Amino acid sequence: MSTATSTPTADRLRSESEWAVETHGLTKRFGANVAVNGVELLVPRGCAFGYLGPNGAGKTTLIRVLLGLTSADAGTMSLLGHSVPTHRARALARVGAIVDEPRFHGHLTGRQNLQILAAAREPAAKERVGPSLERVGMQHRADDKVSKYSMGMRQRLGVAACLIGDPQLLILDEPMNGLDPAGMQDMRDMILSLVAEGRTVVLSSHLLDEVERTCDAVAIVDRGSVIRQGAIADLLAGSSMVLEVDCSDSDRARTLLGATTFDARVEVGPLGLHISMPAGTPRDVIAEINRVLVEGGVSVYRLQEIQTSLESWFLQVTSRLGESS
Amino acid sequence: MTAGPEVVAVASPPFPSVGLGHDRRGSWIPTWGMIATRFMELRKRRGLMIALVLVNIGLPVVFLTIRLLAHAFAPKSYGPAGGYDVFNALVAGVLFVFGFIVAATLGCTAGSVDLAEGMFRHLVVTGRSRLALYLARIPAGLAIVVPLVAIGFTIVCAVCVFAAPTQINYQGANVPAGLSVSGLEHWAANHPDDVICNFPSNGPIATNVSCGGPGGGPGGGPGGGIVKEPSGSVAPSQPTPAMIRAEVVQIAQQDYSDYAKVFLYPSNSLMIRTGLWIELEAIVGFIVGLGLGSLLGQRTVAVILMIVLEIVLTPILSRANIPHLIDVQRSVVGLAVAHLEPSGLGFVFGGGGGPGAGPGTSRLVPESRTVAIVVIVSWLVGWTALGAWRMMKRDA
Repeated sequence: MSTATSTPTADRLRSESEWAVETHGLTKRFGANVAVNGVELLVPRGCAFGYLGPNGAGKTTLIRVLLGLTSADAGTMSLLGHSVPTHRARALARVGAIVDEPRFHGHLTGRQNLQILAAAREPAAKERVGPSLERVGMQHRADDKVSKYSMGMRQRLGVAACLIGDPQLLILDEPMNGLDPAGMQDMRDMILSLVAEGRTVVLSSHLLDEVERTCDAVAIVDRGSVIRQGAIADLLAGSSMVLEVDCSDSDRARTLLGATTFDARVEVGPLGLHISMPAGTPRDVIAEINRVLVEGGVSVYRLQEIQTSLESWFLQVTSRLGESS
Repeated sequence: MTAGPEVVAVASPPFPSVGLGHDRRGSWIPTWGMIATRFMELRKRRGLMIALVLVNIGLPVVFLTIRLLAHAFAPKSYGPAGGYDVFNALVAGVLFVFGFIVAATLGCTAGSVDLAEGMFRHLVVTGRSRLALYLARIPAGLAIVVPLVAIGFTIVCAVCVFAAPTQINYQGANVPAGLSVSGLEHWAANHPDDVICNFPSNGPIATNVSCGGPGGGPGGGPGGGIVKEPSGSVAPSQPTPAMIRAEVVQIAQQDYSDYAKVFLYPSNSLMIRTGLWIELEAIVGFIVGLGLGSLLGQRTVAVILMIVLEIVLTPILSRANIPHLIDVQRSVVGLAVAHLEPSGLGFVFGGGGGPGAGPGTSRLVPESRTVAIVVIVSWLVGWTALGAWRMMKRDA
């Protein structure tokens, strides 16, 4: 763990770190099981950052370690430039988080639950209870008991609980769980608006489509380790080029393409040919493929480059890992 | 890492961004706001509060109401609702035990519900010291327990004072309360048959008086039944009024110290000391329950263990004299609190009362007052430390 000394100047410099979250070699074990395995994670400030991984990959455990809900076995970490756990209180002062399903005292109203949490924060936090409820659209149900809330309303209340700390960093673990499509849209808008205010949002989710729509950058975690991280555009640019070809004779087309020097993997499917080529393949190759097929006597009805989605890229990455293991 | 797609700002209501101000969330001292909101959280548990009120206030109220009504409708069959004896019975028999259980239940609840209901995680994420989160529960819980016990005790005191009998029943004779030595002698001279037939006498009785049946009065009244005669007398002789008067005055002098220990109703001093003692028991129950609830992380088991401790283990360990376990027995907090019982009060767990206690003989395992205080303080500090330690180390 970090043993950085604390001085006002050093703290100010640290708090101005460009990283909202920074971990090095972070490890957490449960007996023989390594839930978080030497994670190196850098989350830039002021962005929406997706933290993706299959079930059991260690997403929630990493979040719990970051927030001090459980201790790390090795490595260093910092939130908003403050090392944790050395300066945990100072770091968490400007962090809001939902971990797992947000649960509250059911016999109290949403407002009363937030008052309890505000009392544990700085004195000014109680002034933010009302605006936080308003911001998540809960002002009309704020004085109802939480036991009468739906799952979606509890999710909103969880976000409101984050906001009473006026956070620079929000860590949301599966915030879309239990939300209907309209609720998901609202949540997405809220996350984007928070980012627009300069806050950093770390979004842990397995809803890849939502992450792709909401986040600027992602990290992929599998079996406790971060295997890829970066801006979504950069990561997808590094994925393979995929073409779909609808033609008169798929078998002949495959034979023709097999005789070329293109490093293409060609499969025949119900919609025609499915051609995969390595990342970085120049787009001129698409025209060359068309030329080879036409000159070989194959009529081409449709030739389409398939944009790689985050979901397909995620599946490629994780399946490759599965094959290699 | 490169910048991602441009983020579109969504119109949102103005959001106040306030500085940290006087933020001392790393401190182990809970803030007033934390205590107040924790008090609110406990107070709003309607079912629990109703149960606690019913046990601690409802039981004595029902008992006293029935006695009041019974006495009002059949005063010859049912004695007054209040008085010293009723005070004794309710305090040592009901409030002491149920006050502990009520406080322990609230303590176990306060110690475990944040974890059970998922709020613990939210609270930890605020960055507030876990020790402060734990310590905030103590004043918040005591702010409920202490008044609750005080209300129940005040009701008992009020009824016992205002509905007290007008005469003391001393050794079966109805005697005015609060008499001086000469007052008791004077009363005895005027009620010689009551004194001779009921009051215990240390020496031989010089007169023979018929007691226990109609026509047995010494002044030629209805006698029959038991006849008290001077020992060794050969032939009964009719005592003169002067002899009888001298006899009963002597008996009254002998019995005055015993008589002076019997009251119509508890004195103010006794009520205050008893109230503090009952509150001490309740505070012990709350603090131990809080620690146990925090340690176990669940309420039900903790409450059951506390009830077993108070209802089963403590009475057994307080009375059974087991030579090899005598020190273990002395370390039981219920026994220690029982040893601090105010003098003049009946015995809890069949013993107690301390030195110079009221009527009866203590059957408690002996323990000095100093050891009792040390045991109580150890339990309070020990369970607070255990509960706080578990909360600080627990994965949230």
